[in-house]
Amino acid sequence: MVRFKNRYVLCEVVSEDPRCRQCIEDRALQLAVRDAITRVHGDYGLACCSISFTVKYLNAYTGTVLLRCRKDSYRLLCSALPFVRYLESRAQRYPCFLNTLHVGGTIRTCQKFLIRYNRTQLLRLLQNCTNEEERQCIQKSLLSCSLTEEQSHSADEEEDDGTETD
Amino acid sequence: SNPFSSLNLPGDVRSEQQHQQQKVSNQSSGPSYRKDQYFSKGQSRGERGRGRGAWQGGHQSVSEEMPKYITVSTFAQARAAEINAMLKAVSQKSSNSLVFQTLPRHMRRRAMSHNIKRLPRRLQEMARKEAEKAVHQKKEQSKTKCRKARRRHINLVAEFNHRQRKNIWLETHIWHAKRFHMVKKWGYCLGNSPTEKSYRACYRAMTKHCLLQDLSYYCCLELKGKENELLKQLARMCSTDAGLTFQEAHCLSGRFEGSLNLYRADRYPEDMLGPVTFIWKPWDGSENRQLWIWVHPALKQDILKELKAIFQCSEPEEICITEPVTTSTQEEKQVEVVTSLGNKRKKEDKEGEKAVPVKKIIGDGTRDPFQSYSWIAQTTGIVISDRSMEILRYRLIGPLSHSVLTETLKAASIQTVRKLTELNNWWVENCKDSEKISLHQCQSAIFQLLEGMSSPSEMPPGTILGLTVGDPRVNLPKKKTKAVPDFEKYQDNDKVRQLYLKGVPLDCAHSFIWDHDICKNVTENKISEQDLNHMRAQLLVPGSHLDLGPCESKIPILLVQQPGKLAGEDRPGWGSGWDIYLPKGWGMAFWIPFIYRGVRVGGLQEALKHSEYQRTPHTPNDFPDCQAGMQFARELETSLLEKFKRRPPAKRANYVKLGTLSPFICPWGQLTKNWEGRMKASGGFLCPSSLHPESCTTEDATHEGSNSIGITREENIESSGLSEKLLMQLSAWCYPTAGKDQRIRLISQLGQKEMTEDVFLPILMSYPRALVWVNLSLLRKGNPELHAMICIPTEDDLLHLGKDKLFCGPQEPKHRDIFKDKIKKQKEEKKKKKRKDNVKSLEGDPSDIPDKEATEDCEDLILGLWSDALPDVTSHCSRTVLGYVTQGDFSLAAGCGEALGFVSLTGLIYMLHNQPADKKGLVLLRTPASLQYRFARLNIEV
Repeated sequence: MVRFKNRYVLCEVVSEDPRCRQCIEDRALQLAVRDAITRVHGDYGLACCSISFTVKYLNAYTGTVLLRCRKDSYRLLCSALPFVRYLESRAQRYPCFLNTLHVGGTIRTCQKFLIRYNRTQLLRLLQNCTNEEERQCIQKSLLSCSLTEEQSHSADEEEDDGTETD
Repeated sequence: SNPFSSLNLPGDVRSEQQHQQQKVSNQSSGPSYRKDQYFSKGQSRGERGRGRGAWQGGHQSVSEEMPKYITVSTFAQARAAEINAMLKAVSQKSSNSLVFQTLPRHMRRRAMSHNIKRLPRRLQEMARKEAEKAVHQKKEQSKTKCRKARRRHINLVAEFNHRQRKNIWLETHIWHAKRFHMVKKWGYCLGNSPTEKSYRACYRAMTKHCLLQDLSYYCCLELKGKENELLKQLARMCSTDAGLTFQEAHCLSGRFEGSLNLYRADRYPEDMLGPVTFIWKPWDGSENRQLWIWVHPALKQDILKELKAIFQCSEPEEICITEPVTTSTQEEKQVEVVTSLGNKRKKEDKEGEKAVPVKKIIGDGTRDPFQSYSWIAQTTGIVISDRSMEILRYRLIGPLSHSVLTETLKAASIQTVRKLTELNNWWVENCKDSEKISLHQCQSAIFQLLEGMSSPSEMPPGTILGLTVGDPRVNLPKKKTKAVPDFEKYQDNDKVRQLYLKGVPLDCAHSFIWDHDICKNVTENKISEQDLNHMRAQLLVPGSHLDLGPCESKIPILLVQQPGKLAGEDRPGWGSGWDIYLPKGWGMAFWIPFIYRGVRVGGLQEALKHSEYQRTPHTPNDFPDCQAGMQFARELETSLLEKFKRRPPAKRANYVKLGTLSPFICPWGQLTKNWEGRMKASGGFLCPSSLHPESCTTEDATHEGSNSIGITREENIESSGLSEKLLMQLSAWCYPTAGKDQRIRLISQLGQKEMTEDVFLPILMSYPRALVWVNLSLLRKGNPELHAMICIPTEDDLLHLGKDKLFCGPQEPKHRDIFKDKIKKQKEEKKKKKRKDNVKSLEGDPSDIPDKEATEDCEDLILGLWSDALPDVTSHCSRTVLGYVTQGDFSLAAGCGEALGFVSLTGLIYMLHNQPADKKGLVLLRTPASLQYRFARLNIEV
């Protein structure tokens, strides 16, 4: 079995305006990226990139975005990403740019990378704390982001009603 | 609480978007900090930000345009939540393969699936969980011990007893469950149809040999009390107009079995309860009589309630409560003797109550032992008891059923020596009386003579013969044989001829099965199969006949002849047979010997076919006016609708286009109402000057034929019950009155009045909403189905048929699907609403709840089904609808399509009145999923 090989590009939406978060959604992002590709690489580039191009994951709170495209054309995509200048949705336009964090071959590697990356972010935040309140806040959230054993166990337990057959 | 708890995995991007909106507003609140305080050092990557700040805060250059504050807590929480989600996603297996299967090939090791330690350490945890899960699942599959333990007799009996608690099992349940498709119906587990291919074979057995059926699920209600008291009350529940009553002389004597339709007290002809059969215990000189009413389990509750009400029986009788206690002690004793040493040891292992040996349930397993099942009336002393499952009932259908009976059963031998055990006490007691011995000899002589009959239908209908027989297991043949009568032996036997002419004398109807104590004795003192086999093994010559001598059980039984087809001209006596009534506990002991005589066994489906070929209504399918019938129709509708919905929409029949208003249920109420309305609206339609030549039959009614015993049923939804006389009249009108002389003679025999206004107008006036049970046979092609429509042919159709003998029937023009647009619109609306809902929820507008409710109430529009209230069912199609078919199939007996159903009386008279004389009784049939009409002849069999 031969599968189609994809590349997953993990980016971060960076904007100075907090309202820009509203624009981080599937369609707006896709439009913006496509627009950038057309501008940079023209129709050919767009056609290449748009094979199996989707937004696989996005998180408006952290601004993380995961894009997928074919392995053959990911260079075109990556080179076009810096040219995204704004996101537009519902007649509102906010300036922003995309910061590429990682390019991976599977979603899983991207997820792993994201864990690592976020962890370092939090740690760095902790180091740079100035007052006690902040520190406690960050520590608490750091502690909250680990999986515990019990959680997974409770999910596994299922009750089956033995049905009788006469 | 974490406000970001619903952060998403890669799958659900959309839900996350909805949350986002609310969170943004939250963000402004809470402690805020100067951004540059904690990112004072700046980041190397921040340089790419082209001098712009970001709410991100992660990596950006210090710039003047940046917002001054950012919330640390939300920032950190957002990261934490994302890490959490990602961790969960990463730790989960994405595929549904096992852990070691995800490893690359070069890392796999032998026996990895068994030994977790062979896996890389990072995967060991996951593999362990997986293994646990698998073990868990396996455990659930095999609930208890090994198969050997489960199949051990004591455990098996316990298991069976446990399973019988919900639904009642017949005694032949295990036998049936191995060979039949079982269904749960009316609180019983019943065999529906054999698993082997046997449709035609069962029919052949019915017509040529013998078909056996276990009817033990029929319920026996026993009434005991003074004769005149019983009759006085029971007369309120039935009417002489509708056939027999309980008072019928030859039934009352106990010589014949009777059947009738019960109605609620004093409510005839409304509120029908259902058909029953009844047997009176032969009169034995005293005033007290005993009556068995046999009812279908679907009707039992209604009838029992009504009986209790009219006899004012409210107090439960005392005797019943003590009964189970005594039996259990006796049984224990018996079991103690029988059980082997091994079993005893096992009993000791278990603690407490379970140590008591498990006894096989005989009779109704669902009954509460401390609840009484008989009721007594204080004033009159009448006792009603529910004896269902106490008396077993097998039905043998077919011309050779009596030879099966005579070959299987042998009359009990006379016994005068008293044994120490209770076994046969009653029989010894009985044998002391010479009068009773002579009666027994007379009974057995008649039973022997039965072999000389060519068919059970030669006996008078409902003949009862009581008998006491020996254990049928003793003379079991070594191989399965086919019982055939030996006619030569009885070629010119006067006694057989005597039996033909006179029937079974009244005395012979007596049986000990009426006596509860004897029945109990017989049930309890049955020799177990195991003992019998043990005795067989000890015979000197293996395989020789086992003679039990005085130990042989004597079983009282009752044989009741079933008349088969009485009405109509063709196949008289088809489907006749014998019913055999046994005391409980003896089911399998009689069943297997019957099987060894080459009978074929049928289930519920075969019973349905039997009644269809016999053209009798089947309980409860064909009783739309009683509760059980309505219930049945509703259940049938839901099941048919489910079946319809299971098909892909493109493959469903569009019943709106086909002009079928209700393909799954017959709208009787609507039909009768519409016909009544039609008659009222055009008051004159019945009064055109009678142009039709009806002069061929001018004789007046000579004899009314009111004394014949009919099984024809008259049906009434709203108000009327048709008397038998009226049905005869109608039946006569249905024949073509011009043409063959044979017909005319027949009609004159039936005593037909000429069909004139002054004859039928009063009928119409008195029964505006009646239905008539009719049977239809197709003229040429066609196979009628359930719920097919019976329609009136137009004059053109009849003309066409007259000219072209090969004319199959007209076609219904295609109807327009008036609901299609509606459904389409609804679909679009739904789509729109969905979109709107999405948008609304994005905007955080909670006001979309009432809208949803509005869409739900018109939810059940299904393409292809009529979704409005039904319009006039009679005039919806191009041919006027007269009635509907309730049973229809290709009849193997008649060799053409045959159908049974109901038509509106008003419509029928209207049709007959307007039809030309030689084409009377011709109707059109159309199945719900077809446009083709087929010609059929309508008959009313009386």
